[in-house]
Amino acid sequence: MMDFSIIMMFLTNLITLIGLFSIISMSLNLEYGYAGIPNFGKLLAVAGGAFFVGAIPGRILALLYNHPAGIGYIEKNLEVIGSLNKTLASSPLLSIAFLILSLIGAAFFGGLLGYVASYPAIRLLVDYLAITLLAMGEILWVIGDNWPPLIGGSMGIRIPDPFRWVGSQYRPILVLLTVSGMALLVFLYLEYVSRSPLGRILRAMRENELPVSVYGRDIVKLRTKTLIVGFAIAAISGALNSLWTVSVSARDFERVRHTFMPWVMVIIGGAGNNLGTLVGAVIFVTLRELIIFYKFYFEAFVPFDVVWLEYLFLGLALIIVLMYRPEGLIPEKPTKTLSSERLKELASRIGSAEKPGEKS
Amino acid sequence: MSFLLVRDAVVFASLLTMLSTGLTLTYMTTKVPNFAHGDFAAINIYLALTLAKLFGVNPYLGIAPAFLLGGIIALTLYIAILKPLLDRGASYIILMIATIAYDMILLSIINIVADYLSRVHKITSRLFQLREWGYGIEIAGQPSIVVIAPLCAVIMVVSLYLFLNKTKFGIAMRAAIDNPSLAETIGINVNLTYAASWFISGGLAGIAGMLVPLHMTCNTDTGVKLLVSIFAASIVGGFTNIYGAFLGGFLIGLAEVLGTGYLAIGLGAWVVPYRPVIPLILMVLTLLFAPKGLSGVEWSKLLRRGAA
Repeated sequence: MMDFSIIMMFLTNLITLIGLFSIISMSLNLEYGYAGIPNFGKLLAVAGGAFFVGAIPGRILALLYNHPAGIGYIEKNLEVIGSLNKTLASSPLLSIAFLILSLIGAAFFGGLLGYVASYPAIRLLVDYLAITLLAMGEILWVIGDNWPPLIGGSMGIRIPDPFRWVGSQYRPILVLLTVSGMALLVFLYLEYVSRSPLGRILRAMRENELPVSVYGRDIVKLRTKTLIVGFAIAAISGALNSLWTVSVSARDFERVRHTFMPWVMVIIGGAGNNLGTLVGAVIFVTLRELIIFYKFYFEAFVPFDVVWLEYLFLGLALIIVLMYRPEGLIPEKPTKTLSSERLKELASRIGSAEKPGEKS
Repeated sequence: MSFLLVRDAVVFASLLTMLSTGLTLTYMTTKVPNFAHGDFAAINIYLALTLAKLFGVNPYLGIAPAFLLGGIIALTLYIAILKPLLDRGASYIILMIATIAYDMILLSIINIVADYLSRVHKITSRLFQLREWGYGIEIAGQPSIVVIAPLCAVIMVVSLYLFLNKTKFGIAMRAAIDNPSLAETIGINVNLTYAASWFISGGLAGIAGMLVPLHMTCNTDTGVKLLVSIFAASIVGGFTNIYGAFLGGFLIGLAEVLGTGYLAIGLGAWVVPYRPVIPLILMVLTLLFAPKGLSGVEWSKLLRRGAA
């Protein structure tokens, strides 16, 4: 029985993490896989979503229930959150509203970050865009880690728990369902986008920008829109992560895990393909969790933290895939066009329009 | 003006100049922003630590090995990864991702070395500094690093100038940068000049890495943190001009240290952790108002307009 409960815990944890990372990777797939924008600032989006949830929704709740919401919210953080949690636990409706509004807020904030961070370089070569986004991510991290009024600085901050109302026994299940539900929603939305005219235009832009602009599409606008949506989606993942762990700290976010890992997932899974991205997320999150789970067994043999071997392995795997299978495990499928009946119908309509003389 | 602050600023600016010059050089040849450049230096930070603490060797004697190690690391990236990808017709976004992947491998090695040094040899390998070498040893009444770092930067500037303008190979490299296919038709080995640019770039980063711990506290993520300043310096310099990189590196280095120093005096010590914001702001301003950097601005036109 003991073993069974450990396995259950491991699995719930694993599936929740897969959900969180697949959301980030799918957002990157939209940006890079479809639109060809090398967003090296995923950290910015994910941490942005988390920082928003740490800084804003809890304070609004504190204001509503007459708790200190200014600097007092940070100083008496534990007391305020304890009391808010009692309120949330007794009211499922309030909890759900809090969760949904937090996620919507995080998405908006993420989108705003995406717009602001990409603005200086959006008109330039994508190299500059990649560098700027990466640098902005580092700066947001520095601010989160050092400016206490935001999320308590390096101490971090605790936030109200919107999953408490089901009881501590079922809480992990509710989190898992929420996260996987959100991942499914993102998957369906991105599938829809990829089959829409917008998806085809994004792919066309990825292959060659010039013809797209010749046909009257504004490349800068397309890039901006893509980044705003991508940032919003990734921010939701960061927000969910924080609501799950009920705490936010800049130290939870780092470039390797939140920028590099999603890139590995997208490239190895197969860019331009949401299913491949999901497969990538499953493989790499599982691998990472297994390494951490069995860490103590390895540690006896080597004089260093085995997590670093994982970095080495990921780096090598990525390079090998780039060289020998750049399309990834599941290659991108040809773009879905209209069905043959619809095409025939359109052809006949064009045909009849071309010969107006015969009809009249 | 505080002398100590200016001294700090000059040392940091010199180190940053060596880093931004290398990054710009490889961007000019291969056209890929190298995200592993910070860790070319960080590997040599740990070479310095190993030399000083494990073997008791003066890190200044490590400058030549550091140039070699940095050069080999950079050359490996070019020959083993970037060149094959280029030959397969990979886009430059793929090349960027490959440099990030290489950076992961370097980061892993750096951390393994750091763990090894601290667990097996009980050497402090995180948040350490070797100031006893940089500031303990004096040259002409000044801490040695204050003399050596600017000296290295000046030697670099002069020798790169001579190399690119007075040697046959350097002129061939410039030709290969300006027009690779034309250079190839007149018999220049473009691949060799690109490989040389990577070796020089890594070597310069290596020297900077060897000197960094003599000046400031270092950690396994120092390379990652330096990357923002290096990119900012290169972009402010123009990213496609080696002389711009000299200027950008020196300006960003000075601005970072002096800016943080004077703001800390004026506003309080709480501003110190926000130091990386300064290069970022300068980079953003450059991208917004002069995307081609300082070397891309047509100064003569600006001056004429100013005079009129």
